Amino acid sequence: MVRLITHNLLACHVKGCTRNNFPLLFENVQIEIQESDFNPDFLRNFMPKLEWKALVDAARQLGDTSLPLEQPEMVDEEFLKALHHVLLEIHVMEGAMVCQNCKHVYPISNGIPNMLLAEHEIG
Amino acid sequence: MPAIPITVAAVTELPLDYEDEHVHRVYDQIASHFSSTRYKPWPIIAKFLSEIPTGWVGLDSGTGNGKYLPLPLDRPSSIWTIGLDRSRNLLEIARTAGVQGGPREVVWGDVLGQGWRSGSFDYAISIATIHHLSTPERRTLAIQRLLECVSPSHGRVLVYVWAMQQDELSKRAIPAIGDPSSSRVEDPSPKTGVDVFVPWVLASQPQDKKQSEGHSRNLIAKKRAEESVQHDGVGTDAPSQVFNRYYHMFAEGELEELVVRAAQGLGLKVGSHNEGVSEGHTSGVAVVQNGWERSNYFVELRRWQN
Ligand SMILES: [Zn+2]
Repeated sequence: MVRLITHNLLACHVKGCTRNNFPLLFENVQIEIQESDFNPDFLRNFMPKLEWKALVDAARQLGDTSLPLEQPEMVDEEFLKALHHVLLEIHVMEGAMVCQNCKHVYPISNGIPNMLLAEHEIG
Repeated sequence: MPAIPITVAAVTELPLDYEDEHVHRVYDQIASHFSSTRYKPWPIIAKFLSEIPTGWVGLDSGTGNGKYLPLPLDRPSSIWTIGLDRSRNLLEIARTAGVQGGPREVVWGDVLGQGWRSGSFDYAISIATIHHLSTPERRTLAIQRLLECVSPSHGRVLVYVWAMQQDELSKRAIPAIGDPSSSRVEDPSPKTGVDVFVPWVLASQPQDKKQSEGHSRNLIAKKRAEESVQHDGVGTDAPSQVFNRYYHMFAEGELEELVVRAAQGLGLKVGSHNEGVSEGHTSGVAVVQNGWERSNYFVELRRWQN
């Protein structure tokens, strides 16, 4: 599955592509919504490690506008529920992720992203 | 079950082509049968994961059938382990590993790749994976990738590799050349292991009843993977086939040596935080524990910085 929790970690690793290689942009995606267990403690502790802008932009790309542009200082239940949904319940099943810098295309098929590179692309 | 003969392997081709033929293709073909025999987590790995703080995110580099992705079972969805593997067929199984918590996050990739923000994981595990890399350079690089993908201030890493020193209960017969306890006492045991082929026999009926009982929760995934295996022409109706998997069996001390070389290559001091700081180092990696368990060597590392 490519959920946004994973998308927030992935970066382009084509040889020489070291700047503006994160976040990858979604292209032609099909998504599925699937409920998952809500764990507020996980979210509270994980939050500081998120690249927030990348997460908000990716969510908007997938049609979800529930997250504020700035990470809020006051974290309430309602916000955590929205964060949980964005991070863990939106599954990108088909499509691709494209590097903004070198335009490399990482395909997604049956929910699994292909981050393999050809031999000449490996750094 | 008769002893499984292991033969000595010679890496003659380009490492990448060699591993492609003797590791990646084999796992893609034996995926479902392999998975049906790998469902019990090893104690030290389960303990490592049970001690990971809530809210941490980790990488399982070479996740195979994903058996570690649902752990710890007593704190479901308190941490997230993302599985990476070279075998697409194993990933199809890994993505539904475990009964709790719904689908897993898996990525198709190479353990020598770095398709993530550097330092973005809190922990990484590499279980029975690095021994499939066919040169010391590539094994060193694999350790470096693990050290790089975790946080430079608190990242934890656990590595398991297959040992020349085998469990008494092991059914494997080791070729004489690789037996450290054999008559070659005068040899001061250089810290280089031995390259071998370990056969995997894919019987005509890979899922006999006995094997399926203990882990029926993976049945659907197994079935799905089997179907994709069948597309490759090796299915339940095919006759028995033997696949030789390439392994580098580690000598005693070789894994620690590899860690030191990997860390130094990244400019990291190997030693405890206090020791490193007193010597004026700003970043390093501490060896928390290392040892031998059930025919494997393991090492647990922790990164630190000032
Ligand atoms: Zn790129």
